[in-house]
Amino acid sequence: MVEGLLQPLNIFLLGLGGGFLIPLLHRLSKRLPATAFWVSLAGMTLVSGVCLWRLLGGADAFEIRTAGTAPPLAISLRLGLAEGFFAFCVNLAALLGAWQLWPRLRDSYTFLLLFLILVMGINGMIMTRDLFNLFVFLEIVSIGTYGLFGLGQTPAAVAGAFKYIMATVLASSFFLLGAALLYHVTGTLSIDEMVMRRDLIAGPVGLTALVLVLSCLIVELKPFPANGWGLDVYETAPAGVAALVSVGVSAGVFFALFKLMPLFAAHLTLIAFSAAVTFLLSNLVGLRQTNVQRMLGCSSIAQMALLVLALALLLRQGADDALALVVGGLFFSHLFAKAGLFWLAGAVRRERIRDWNVLAAGPSFLLVFCCLLVAIAGLPPFPGFWAKWELVLRLAREGGYAWIAVVLMGSLLEAAYLFRWFGRAIKAGRRDTGGPLSHGRLFPAAACVALLVMGGGVAASAAGITSLWVYTPLAAGGLLVAAEGLPGRAKCGLMLLAVAVLGVWMAQGTGGINGLFATLLLSGGLVIAAAGLYRRDARPGYYPLMAVLLLSIVALLRASTSLEFFFAWELVTLASFFMLALAPAARGVVLQYLLFSLASAFVLLVGLAVAASATGTTSLSSFLAAGPVAAPAFVLIALGCMVKIGVIGVHVWLPAAYARADDDFSAMLSAVVGKVAVFGLFMAAYLATRAEAGLELARIVGWIGMLTTVVAALLALQQADMKRMLAYSSLSQTGYIVTAVALISHLGWVTALYLVANHLMVKGILFLAAAAVIERTGLRRLEACGGLARRMPLTFSVAVIALVSMSGLPPLAGFGGKWLLLSAMMERGWYGPLALGILATLVGLLYMVRFGHAVFLGPLKPERGAVREAPAALLVPQFVLVAGILLLSFFTKLFMDPVSAAIDPQFASTLVWQGMSLELIYAYWNPARAMAGAVGLALVGAVVLWLSYRIGRRPSQSGGLARFFRYYRPLLAPVLASHAERFWDAVSVVFGAAAGAARRVYGGNGQTYAIQVLAYVLVLYFFVVAYPLLQSR
Amino acid sequence: MGLPISHLLLVTGLVLMLIGMWGVLVHRNILRIIIGFSLFGTGTHIVIVATGYVTGGTAPIIDAALPAGAAGARAVDPIPSALVVTAIVIGFSVTAVMLSYAIRLYAARKTLSIDAFTEQKW
Amino acid sequence: MKRIRAAIVVLLFGAAFAGLAVGYSERTVPSALAMRYLQEVPAELGAANVVTGILITYRGFDTLGEVAVLFMVAASVGMLLSAGAGRRAVPAGASAPPARPPSELVVNGAEVVLPVAFLFGAYVIVNGHLSAGGGFQGGAVVASGVVLLVLARPSVALHHGFLSVTESLAGVFYVALGILGLIFAGGFLDSHILPRGEFGAFISAGAIPLISALLGIKVAAELSVIIDRFRS
Repeated sequence: MVEGLLQPLNIFLLGLGGGFLIPLLHRLSKRLPATAFWVSLAGMTLVSGVCLWRLLGGADAFEIRTAGTAPPLAISLRLGLAEGFFAFCVNLAALLGAWQLWPRLRDSYTFLLLFLILVMGINGMIMTRDLFNLFVFLEIVSIGTYGLFGLGQTPAAVAGAFKYIMATVLASSFFLLGAALLYHVTGTLSIDEMVMRRDLIAGPVGLTALVLVLSCLIVELKPFPANGWGLDVYETAPAGVAALVSVGVSAGVFFALFKLMPLFAAHLTLIAFSAAVTFLLSNLVGLRQTNVQRMLGCSSIAQMALLVLALALLLRQGADDALALVVGGLFFSHLFAKAGLFWLAGAVRRERIRDWNVLAAGPSFLLVFCCLLVAIAGLPPFPGFWAKWELVLRLAREGGYAWIAVVLMGSLLEAAYLFRWFGRAIKAGRRDTGGPLSHGRLFPAAACVALLVMGGGVAASAAGITSLWVYTPLAAGGLLVAAEGLPGRAKCGLMLLAVAVLGVWMAQGTGGINGLFATLLLSGGLVIAAAGLYRRDARPGYYPLMAVLLLSIVALLRASTSLEFFFAWELVTLASFFMLALAPAARGVVLQYLLFSLASAFVLLVGLAVAASATGTTSLSSFLAAGPVAAPAFVLIALGCMVKIGVIGVHVWLPAAYARADDDFSAMLSAVVGKVAVFGLFMAAYLATRAEAGLELARIVGWIGMLTTVVAALLALQQADMKRMLAYSSLSQTGYIVTAVALISHLGWVTALYLVANHLMVKGILFLAAAAVIERTGLRRLEACGGLARRMPLTFSVAVIALVSMSGLPPLAGFGGKWLLLSAMMERGWYGPLALGILATLVGLLYMVRFGHAVFLGPLKPERGAVREAPAALLVPQFVLVAGILLLSFFTKLFMDPVSAAIDPQFASTLVWQGMSLELIYAYWNPARAMAGAVGLALVGAVVLWLSYRIGRRPSQSGGLARFFRYYRPLLAPVLASHAERFWDAVSVVFGAAAGAARRVYGGNGQTYAIQVLAYVLVLYFFVVAYPLLQSR
Repeated sequence: MGLPISHLLLVTGLVLMLIGMWGVLVHRNILRIIIGFSLFGTGTHIVIVATGYVTGGTAPIIDAALPAGAAGARAVDPIPSALVVTAIVIGFSVTAVMLSYAIRLYAARKTLSIDAFTEQKW
Repeated sequence: MKRIRAAIVVLLFGAAFAGLAVGYSERTVPSALAMRYLQEVPAELGAANVVTGILITYRGFDTLGEVAVLFMVAASVGMLLSAGAGRRAVPAGASAPPARPPSELVVNGAEVVLPVAFLFGAYVIVNGHLSAGGGFQGGAVVASGVVLLVLARPSVALHHGFLSVTESLAGVFYVALGILGLIFAGGFLDSHILPRGEFGAFISAGAIPLISALLGIKVAAELSVIIDRFRS
């Protein structure tokens, strides 16, 4: 009996029977229709769920014969694994959607029956194996949609519905004609039989029939540019209905396309091309949208196009085994994330993007909102991430780089407008125009997040994640979210404890360079994170994110496959992005930060995919055996890391982010997070040592590094804001490290690690010192400070130590680092970069002197008389870091031996290295020669500058260091007018203009839309029928 | 004997479709557009029926005029006829929905010109 | 401008359709599937009208779907128009000219034709398995009778409640018959739940006449409801 109730056919009985019964029940009692509705809908979901469960357990696909007769005589349906998955997902989404839409649905029993039969229709589209029956279900779905559009009361909603009807009626008429003609040429309507006889589909009649069916399905998926009618409906329909169209109806149509794909086997490239155009341009158009639902509509159309693109490309290269993960993952991600966002939009009831600041009021809304955005953008830990990874990997294997570029470019555009929306949503302080938000309405969207998390887990294991430790960061973050009610300092303490315990546990698995980085970054991260104790406020979200950030860094260093690596990399990106967004001041720059980070991640992703296709595995250790084929991988990984490092040209995001983040978080960003990209660069260099082609490129990277150093130093000199100056200084110092890594020699790498350690401590101290100054005085402008040395002597002394160590003056660590670098460059004969290095040392001296002088020396402003020393919570981490500097400076061997040992095996085979210990090297190369020369030259330069300043300045003005800098800054300005910023501004303007141009096709007139649909059909006709025919003549 | 009968029917259906298409694309009045859609649909149905014709065939009803044994030789293909019944009903349904939307549109703007409903764009 | 674009599109479609017409060749024998239907519908289902046999039994799932479409449309037209009426602020009597009384021809014609039309509709419905016709066709005839009725007597009020209950009940019974097929015969909508009977007799062909009758009732009720909605 139970067995009989759980047959897939019952989905239809429940849908239709329930639908037919509802008016009858309405006559009996006003409440019964609602009961029947929920019972039927839940029953459909249950049946599909149980069937899917059985199929997953290995049961055979359910074959349903109607009329007790086998196809082709009678209509048959099938519920296999794919069908079961799609049907269950759609039913689940429908169940949640009905909950969301309930306040509107219950107005009239008509809506209940329409909704129910519509959902049944989608199930029918998924299950049927008969072409004409597919048409009938398509019409059931269409009519149901038309009816539900009636929920929209505004004239615009009615007009949008009418345009939608016009376009879809044309499409389905073509399907009808195509199906009948296909019967004419093949003599069957059964899809299975038709696929077997597809050779018969030829000649003008057969091909026309085929193109008519294909174009109906493509048009129903709303291809660019023939999709204005779809956008209008997304914009004007009630959010719940728009969600149903976006995920339910599209899912049915997509599955129909999937089912018929064997018929279109010869036209996969055409389908992929159409989908690629739609994906790119819909996302482009999304950039200019101001209405939330219209923007979500753009994203929805783009996501469906991505699904079609992935399907067509994977089928084309015969990678059927990847379909489950890629198509299934992308579908699941789109289904629940998009529906969730539409429902959230419905719950928030703000039409315009700019009104969305209301979200700042409700933390649970904000959390759900963020999760859904992350899921849509294809970021971890959600299914879309794993699916995109697998897709890119598969495409790289067949050399489909153009397609990869399309996928990633479109994803970047999508992230741009979705996270711009996020940026608006978190802007606080504006007038709230609506009433309070009820949490009950959040439930469907929150359920989507839960489902997405679960789906992410499944997709991860399908993608090849076998070890559970990669989830440690997220688990720790989740646990800390549960403790959000505690006071800020307690939360900070808990976070430090969790990171220390879990971090040390995770770092156990690392060795070599990874181990060194892990030790360095984990301990440095903990020390700097401890500075968070100086803040008394609750900082909602900050500490869980900090735990995610630090533990992801450790996870990244422990990763043994490129997938784990990339997963952790994206987590670092996300965690730092959201932490940055927590600072009100940074909200204007978070988008820029995210986009550059994502661009970097995407380039990295392609690099990893190329490497994986070169070696045939994702194991990082196999990179050792990669050989010259991996050369492009090296270039791409290095490129990705350099974007993330912010080398000159792509640096524009960095100073803004560092300067505007929370003061203690700036220290973390500069000292710890920035080093992750350096580690990535190490990995690239490591790959390069295997692929001989990389060595020449290393020279270019070396130049880039030194140019970054010089230009960033000059820019640092120009800054008036102390954190901005430190940000540029950080960039400048990282440039040295880039060059050191690019040397690809033992000495270079020892230097790089040495500099990493030095810079971590130095920048940690300086940013914390800046935090202390800002905390005590509220000042950020260098010129406004002064004389604080007397009020904050401890801060002053640690800052001086840090400045000396950074400048490379003896006897502190920076001296050793710089000396090593200059020697290594001499060794390789890189005289050009060497000269730049010396110039940078000079400029570095200047800005460091300026920083120390402007903040701490000079006369104390009278109104600052009451300034106290920095809080202990800020000082103690700085002391620890100072201790680190001293250790590094005077017990170099403690550090150098493990470093040398870690690097040694990697060079044993490829590069000349005589196994000399560091003392020998010191002795072999005369330290005086290089370093004294460099510092000497720098000092001479400084003196020359000073003299020219003394001569050049007008006699009436008094002297002083402050005036010296004021004299030179305008002198440098024309040289430094940031071309990069102007360039990237122009890029954004160009994209905006392109988006504006692209959306001109949406004239708003239903007839224009109809012409576009028909023209689209004609274009497909041309490529499928006319062009081959003309060619064969 | 000139064109076979089904050819004639097919061409009629296709021409009707084109006329309907023209009506949909050119007329401003929504009611005329709906008539265009109706014509387009009817044309489709005629084409479908035409493709079911078998040379010299008669209606597939087994009776005195068409004994069961001769059905295979003298009946037209019953499938397109069966399909077209369904298609006609669906076409009717779609027309009904469009007409109700037309009434709603008129109620909203007091006009039936399709150009009056273009505020959603870009 | 729009006209030119429309002309280009229509012309190109004309070219595509011309290709279709030129490539098309008339069948000289029915397809293999059609042959099977022509033999099996009379033999297995006992229905003389092959098209009805296909519609009601073999492609009964389509028919059920199409009934669902009609059902949804009847419901949504009512919903759409009542929502629209609620928003119409113009009083109906003020601006609209007074309705013209129906012409004598219509009134008198209706007197004569209506009973015949309803009777003919009923005949077409119940004889669907034997001769040309069936539930849809007969239902449509009955509904045309209703059109004539409301034209002739604008004041007549159709009982929507009755029609709605009728269409729902017919739908429910239809689904129930399908389920009976699932339980007592080979599958959902199998018409073998009733004996095949004597070929060509009025009571024959299993459940086909029964389903046909239900369809006729449902279609007639739904079409009448739809038409009547537009009237109000």
